[in-house]
Amino acid sequence: MIEVAQLRKEYGDLVAVDDISFTAETGAIFGLLGPNGAGKTTTIGCISGLLEPTAGTVRVRGHDVVRESAQAKASLGVVPQEIALYGDLSAGENVRFWGQAYGLRGAKLRARITDVLEITGLLDRAGDRVDQFSGGMKRRLNFACGIIHEPQVLLLDEPTVGVDPQSRVRLLDLVREQANQGVCVLYTTHYMEEAQSICDRLAIIDHGHVIAQGSLAELQAQMGERDLVRVSGSFDESELHRAFGHDADVEIVTVDDAQATLSVRKASSKLPTLLAALTGAGSEVRDITVSQPSLESLFIKLTGKELRE
Amino acid sequence: MRFLLATAAKDLVRRRRDPLALLLWAGIPLAIGGLIFLAFGGDDAGPSGRLLVVDQDNTVLSGLLSGVYQQGPLAEIIEVEAVDLETGRDRIDSGEASGLLIIPDGFGTAVLNSEPFEISLVRNPAQRIVPGIIEESLSLVVESTFYVQRLFDEPLDIIAAVQPVGANIVPDSTVASISVAFNQIVDRAQPYLFPPVIELETKTTGEDEDGLDFARLFFPSMLFMALLFMAQGLSEDIWRERSHGTLRRVIVTPQRVAMFLAGKLLAGAMLMLIVIGLGLVVGRWVFGIDLQGLPIALVWATIAGMMLLAMMVLVQLFASSERAGNILTGAAIFPLAMLGGSFFPFEVMPDWLASVGRYTPNGWALAKLNRVFAGDLAALDLVRAIGFVTLIIVALTWLAMRRIRGRFAHS
Ligand SMILES: Nc1ncnc2c1ncn2[C@@H]1O[C@H](COP(=O)(O)OP(=O)(O)OP(=O)(O)O)[C@@H](O)[C@H]1O
Ligand SMILES: [Mg+2]
Repeated sequence: MIEVAQLRKEYGDLVAVDDISFTAETGAIFGLLGPNGAGKTTTIGCISGLLEPTAGTVRVRGHDVVRESAQAKASLGVVPQEIALYGDLSAGENVRFWGQAYGLRGAKLRARITDVLEITGLLDRAGDRVDQFSGGMKRRLNFACGIIHEPQVLLLDEPTVGVDPQSRVRLLDLVREQANQGVCVLYTTHYMEEAQSICDRLAIIDHGHVIAQGSLAELQAQMGERDLVRVSGSFDESELHRAFGHDADVEIVTVDDAQATLSVRKASSKLPTLLAALTGAGSEVRDITVSQPSLESLFIKLTGKELRE
Repeated sequence: MRFLLATAAKDLVRRRRDPLALLLWAGIPLAIGGLIFLAFGGDDAGPSGRLLVVDQDNTVLSGLLSGVYQQGPLAEIIEVEAVDLETGRDRIDSGEASGLLIIPDGFGTAVLNSEPFEISLVRNPAQRIVPGIIEESLSLVVESTFYVQRLFDEPLDIIAAVQPVGANIVPDSTVASISVAFNQIVDRAQPYLFPPVIELETKTTGEDEDGLDFARLFFPSMLFMALLFMAQGLSEDIWRERSHGTLRRVIVTPQRVAMFLAGKLLAGAMLMLIVIGLGLVVGRWVFGIDLQGLPIALVWATIAGMMLLAMMVLVQLFASSERAGNILTGAAIFPLAMLGGSFFPFEVMPDWLASVGRYTPNGWALAKLNRVFAGDLAALDLVRAIGFVTLIIVALTWLAMRRIRGRFAHS
C-alpha cells in the first residue's frame, strides 16, 4: 500500500508537485494520468526515495520513505521512465546485478533471472549485450529489472513508451498479473486508453495538482451522461453564451473564434437541434465530432485543453 | 558487503569488454619505460610506425600539430612523412603506414579565432599499438588545444585581429606584443610543458652507465604514471553511471551509495593490481631490475592507486559536465605526474622541485614505494601509511557519496 499525503516538491521556484494526496491499495493498479510535465515522474521520485519531498509524507507499506527509507525501499520495485541499464552488460548480467542489489543470491537468484527474462520474452537473448537491443527490448528488460526481486509495491513510470503494440499488450498483461498476485501497482501514463483499460483507480493530475480522483466508474460518472461535442468553424462567443446560458443539457467548456467544445447530454439524439441553435447564435459550423464520456473528455472538461498537445 | 562485491564484479565484467582502454593506460607508461630502457640500455628496436601527414593548412599551427610526433619519446616510435591527400589515402589503404593525419585548410585560423575545428585521423586497422599511441596523443593535443584556446585567449585574439585569413605577414609591433604575452605564459608553464629531456640526455650519455640503473630509476615512476592514467580513465565511469540512469536506480534500492562507490573503487583497484603486477613481473624478470619486497610493493602501489582513483572520482563529481570532468582530471594528472616524480624520477629533478613534489599524493606514495624496492621501509612505517591512505579513501568516498546524493544524481 502507498499512502501519499499533501505531497509537495519544489525545484527552486518551480512547484512540480503541489499538495497531492492519494492511496494506492494492495492488489490493485492505481493510475497517475497526466500530460507531459504534470508531475508524474516527480511524484514517483518522491515515493521511491530518489527525491526528498519539500513537504508532505509518503508511506510505503506503513514505512515513511524519508525516516525509514531502508524498510520502505526494500519492498519497492521501480521501473523508471528513462531506461536504466548497463549497455555493456548482457541482459542476464543486468537482471543479475539488480537482483543482487535487492539481496537475492544463489539458486533463488538464478531462478528469478530465468523467470523474468522468460516472461518478458528475452530469454533467448539473455547473453546478448544490451546496447545491441532495440528500444522495445530495452523497455522490456527495464521492466524485468524492476520486478526481479518480487516487490510488493511496484512503481511503473510510463513503461510502455516506444513499445510495439504486441509487446505493449504483453507488458500490460504482466502488470495486470502483478496486481492479481497481490502487488500494489502505481502506474503513470499519458495514454488515456491505457489508463482506462488497466487501472482500477486513478488520479488525473495537471500542473502538479490532482484534478480528479476515483475509480473509473466514479470518474465517468463525473461526466454525467454527457458527451463531448467538438465543433469547428467560426463562432461568436457572447452569442453562444446567450444561446446556451440557461440550457441545462448543454454546457460550454471552451470557445474561441474557430473552435467550440460543448458538454451535451445525449448528444447524438440532439444533433439537429444543437446545429440549429448554433447557427441561430451566429455560428458557422464546418465540422462536428461527438465523443462518448471518457477520461479524455473528463480531462478536457476539467482543464479546457486536450491531453496530448 | 555482498553488494560491494557484486558492484565490483559487474564493473570488472564491463571492463573486460573494453580491453583496449586498459591496454592504452598501461601501455603508454610501459612504452615510454621501454623506450627509455632501449635508449639507455639495450640496442634492439622498439615498436615503430609511420604517420602520413596531409597538411592542407600549411600554417605554423598545423606545423606544430604534426611536430608533436617529431619530439620527445614519440619521435622514437613514430616517423612522420608529409604527403599529399591522394598518395596518403592510397598508402594507408594498402597498409603501408600506421596512420594518416589530415589537417584541413583553415585549421590555423579556426584555432586562432577560438572556433571549433575538425581534423581527421585514419588508423590502419591492421595495427593496434602504434595507431593507438598516435590517436591517444592526438586527442591529448586536441584536448589541450581546446584548453589553450581558453587560457591564451588574449594573445590569440591579437593574432586573429591583425592577420587576415591566409595572410602571412604580421607587423613587427604586433609580433612584439604577441611575443611578450606568450613569453609570460610560457615562462610560467615552462617547467611543466617542457621537461628537461635534453638536459637529461646530455647528462647521461657522457658517463658510461649501465642501462639497468636507468631502468631502475625510471621504473617506479612509470608504475605511478600508469596508476595516474588509470585513475583518470576509470573515474570517467561515474558519468556513464549517471547518463545510463543506473546511478539513480542504485539510489532507489535499499543499498547504500557508499557501498556502490566502494565497489567501483575496488574494481579499479583490482585492475591496478593486475597492471602493477604485470609491470613488476616485466620489470623484475624481463628487464632484470633489482627490486625487493615485490608483494609489499604490489599491495602498496595498489592502495595508493585506489586513493588516486577516489580523488579523480571526486573531481569528476564536482565538474559541471562529463567533458569538463575529463578536462579537469586531465589537467590535474599532468602536473601531478610531472611534480610527483611520476614522469621524471625525483632523482633527476631539481632538488627544490623534488622536495615540493614529495608532498603530492602520488609523489608521497612513490617515495614510499622506492623505499620498499630498496628494502628499507620499516614494517611499522608501512602499516601506518596504509592506515593513513585507508582513512583518506574513506573520507573521499564519504564526500563523493554526499555529492552524489546531493546534486550529482539529479537533473
Ligand atoms: N531536476 C529537475 N529540475 C528542475 N525542474 C524539474 C526537474 N525535474 C522535473 N522538473 C520539472 O518538474 C515538472 C514536472 O516534471 P515531471 O518529470 O514530474 O513530469 P511528468 O509528468 O513525469 O512528465 P512526462 O510525461 O513528460 O514524463 C516539469 O515542469 C519539469 O520541468
Ligand atoms: Mg515523467
